[in-house]
Amino acid sequence: MPGSAFEVLRVLVVEDNQHMRSLLRSLLNSIGIREIHEAANGTAALDILREKPCDLILSDLAMKPMDGIDFTRDVRLSPRSPNPFLPVIMVTGHTERHKVEAARDAGVTEFIAKPVTAQSLFARIAEILERPRAFVRCESYFGPDRRRKAQEGYPGPWRRHGDRQILHVP
Amino acid sequence: MKKAELIPPGDYPQMAGKSAATKMARALRAPETAARGAQVIQEAGSQLRLAVHDYVRQLEDALGDPSLVFEKAHELRGFAETAGLSATGRIASGLCRYFDEMEKLGTAPDAAVIALHVSAITRAARAKDEAGRMSHAVVKELAALVAHKLAETKAAR
Repeated sequence: MPGSAFEVLRVLVVEDNQHMRSLLRSLLNSIGIREIHEAANGTAALDILREKPCDLILSDLAMKPMDGIDFTRDVRLSPRSPNPFLPVIMVTGHTERHKVEAARDAGVTEFIAKPVTAQSLFARIAEILERPRAFVRCESYFGPDRRRKAQEGYPGPWRRHGDRQILHVP
Repeated sequence: MKKAELIPPGDYPQMAGKSAATKMARALRAPETAARGAQVIQEAGSQLRLAVHDYVRQLEDALGDPSLVFEKAHELRGFAETAGLSATGRIASGLCRYFDEMEKLGTAPDAAVIALHVSAITRAARAKDEAGRMSHAVVKELAALVAHKLAETKAAR
């Protein structure tokens, strides 16, 4: 997509498999994204993030020495994080429930189970663009709101400041 | 307990302004965008298949070290299908599931079950007719074996 709106986006791909990194880069290129940074693990990714501003992160889960969960936690919580609100899409073959929950609790925005398809990747990016989620800050968590749906007729208790406004409750 | 603070999307920096974001999302959902992406994956196929074969060799070498087998099987589960080797990916996925279930049961995985999967992955990845009937039958048989072994392990607890 030459001359497209995507040209302004900057993406960081964090993946230890060089072939997968290259495939993700090609997929991002196909929609017109030009500024793509690559890192093979969370530690290297944090170094890049501090140098180069990014708008979106695609991260694998299992990497050494720092995995995608610790990396996401660092992006969200570290005082040195350049942008704790950065959207993080976790792209992984680890679909076990405890891993998915750990990723969610670290503050991952979206989750893609490998094998990756162009459609699944593009749909997740579209979702973040079109329906950005509120962020929650509490003693034990900082990250995108983990409640995806508003329960109709929910009587409370309202555990968050701003719940009523977000859910449009009178 | 202190209430959590909710920060609405308008109160933190977004990837793009509202109208640009809507335009981009529409473009991302367009069938021609998906088709172009699928073409990219197809073009990367031969390179990815070479990488799968590398991982298969590493998987064979890892036999005897279950944690390394688990790691390599996860890599294969992750991108064998993207490389167009669907049977290889499905067998690797079955092996990962077996490891996960055994971990939940707190029991060491059976070396014979691992060896059978590794052998099947190797054969499938090198077969001319990778996704053919034979591979489909092997996937089914291995799934039945895993189900049987898991039932056996649960019964023995």
